[in-house]
Amino acid sequence: MEFFTVRNLTMKFGGLVAVNDFDITLKKGEIVGLIGPNGAGKTTVFNMIAGYYAPTSGTIHFQGKLLNGKKANEITRSGVARTFQNIRLFTELTVVENVMIAYHCRLRSSFLGAALRLPLYRREEKQMYEGAMEFLREVELEDLSREQAGSLPYGMQRRLEIARALATGPQLLLLDEPAAGMNPNETQDLLHLILRLREKYRLTVFLIEHDMKFVMQLCERIQVLDYGTTIASGTPEEIQQNERVIEAYLGEG
Amino acid sequence: MDEHRRRNQIFSIIAVACLFLFLLSMHFYADDYQIRILNNIALFIILAVSYNLINGVTGQFSLEPNAFVAIGAYTSALLTLTPAEKQMAFIIEPIIWPLSVIHVPFFVSLIAAGVVTAFFGFLMGFPVFRVRGDYLAIVTLGFGEVVRVVANNTQTITNGPLGLKGLANYTNIWWSWGIAAFTVFYIARLVRSSYGMAMKAVKYDEAAAESIGINAFKHKMLAFTTSAFFEGIGGGLLAHLITTISPTLFTFFLTFNLLIMIVAGGLGSITGSVIAAVVITWGGEALRVVEEPINLGFVTIPGIPGMRMVLFSLILVLVMIFARQGLMGTREFNWNGLFRKIRAWTHRTAKES
Repeated sequence: MEFFTVRNLTMKFGGLVAVNDFDITLKKGEIVGLIGPNGAGKTTVFNMIAGYYAPTSGTIHFQGKLLNGKKANEITRSGVARTFQNIRLFTELTVVENVMIAYHCRLRSSFLGAALRLPLYRREEKQMYEGAMEFLREVELEDLSREQAGSLPYGMQRRLEIARALATGPQLLLLDEPAAGMNPNETQDLLHLILRLREKYRLTVFLIEHDMKFVMQLCERIQVLDYGTTIASGTPEEIQQNERVIEAYLGEG
Repeated sequence: MDEHRRRNQIFSIIAVACLFLFLLSMHFYADDYQIRILNNIALFIILAVSYNLINGVTGQFSLEPNAFVAIGAYTSALLTLTPAEKQMAFIIEPIIWPLSVIHVPFFVSLIAAGVVTAFFGFLMGFPVFRVRGDYLAIVTLGFGEVVRVVANNTQTITNGPLGLKGLANYTNIWWSWGIAAFTVFYIARLVRSSYGMAMKAVKYDEAAAESIGINAFKHKMLAFTTSAFFEGIGGGLLAHLITTISPTLFTFFLTFNLLIMIVAGGLGSITGSVIAAVVITWGGEALRVVEEPINLGFVTIPGIPGMRMVLFSLILVLVMIFARQGLMGTREFNWNGLFRKIRAWTHRTAKES
């Protein structure tokens, strides 16, 4: 059984074909990058996988189960977590609350049990808090756990969003431009963080990124989209040599 | 995190005891008018706090409480009236079976009012939460009207425009304040639990909430149904407080009053809703003077009925312009915060002297 396969995924918005016949297979534990010029359809691919758009056609299978037609929250609970290109934290809540909420979908306490604070809920609440702090330690934000999420600087917000996604207990993590807006030092830290998290939580990572140095260092395989169509895929070295990729990025010479 | 837990618990118990003593003294010394205002305050606390759960905490701007209160009021009233009273009241067409024979104690009728209203809220939630924002407001507003019109026309159930008269005056300050206290306690607990956090997540960013596995629809439904449950109980209390109900009682005007309360108190703050319910209900009575003729010595202003509503609307406009967050924003009262404020204040005054 394949870990994650996408076949012939197509998304049309009216007459515009945003993504055309997109195929990809991910093996467990891989880090794979999706690159391409602006407007190539990368985020549309993510939105289809995560259940935000219903694909016009094509299939998405995760661990043998069909994901098409499921709602975003169901897909997350089946083990696919994502971050957003434009960070979407709950800015008015505290840092630790942002991560604690992500545990909610794994809660066993009932609605009444939680409101009446029955023993099971109290135990689970403690687990939520401790688990959330653990993830914050992982992304080095535990000292800021009581700050308002919106008050954090940009790079930290990105890391917090990763911690929040991790708290849902994913096996496949979709990162949409995790290094955007980071300085070179932060980008390097992020690279090591992603590698460390993959080891520790046995994650498979699928990411979109524009920072080529970052992508080439981190990813084991890369797929390139242009105008919704896959124009190349392979190892970072192969991609760097590929004529069509160079053309897509630099234009015809 | 909980270093002051014990102290806070003691203070909470003291606060509840103070409320009890206050009510006890009112029970013995207050006149009918004051008791009536106290009942109204408790009633509006119940309604505002539960309305705030869906509008403020979950951020789904809806306008249906008059429908829920109506359903609760009719359910409760039809259950406490004796079969003989019902036969007397339904003069145009007789009441349908089994409503014609059921007769239950007041408390049971309140629970039934809550359950029936919650059930209607649950059914209503399916179509209603297919839309968001302005559309949600309009759809729920429509439902409020539907319920009123249905109440007006289902002669064999609600007695139509004649309404139900001569209900027993069961609602006293113990019922109303007891249920108000339970409502505040339950909803405050709920909001602090992870279900409450998930509801807030839906308010702040539905897409992000879905991305962490929160079923937005389910949590809207939970908030809506819970809100309906308490609105329904509030309706039951209302029916047995004023002892006469008819469809005209449950117009949008009721919703509008509650809306003023939760907005002025701060959308999403239970503390704010409670304070606003107290101040606005009590203020509404105090402001009766503006509707009476005022003699300023040199000029006499004639009494203008409805003047209070002008003032209330003005307050809402001012709140929207100068304090959009309302009195409390999304903050809540807690003992730690209060003690911090007191300490800071004593510090400052000590330094100044």
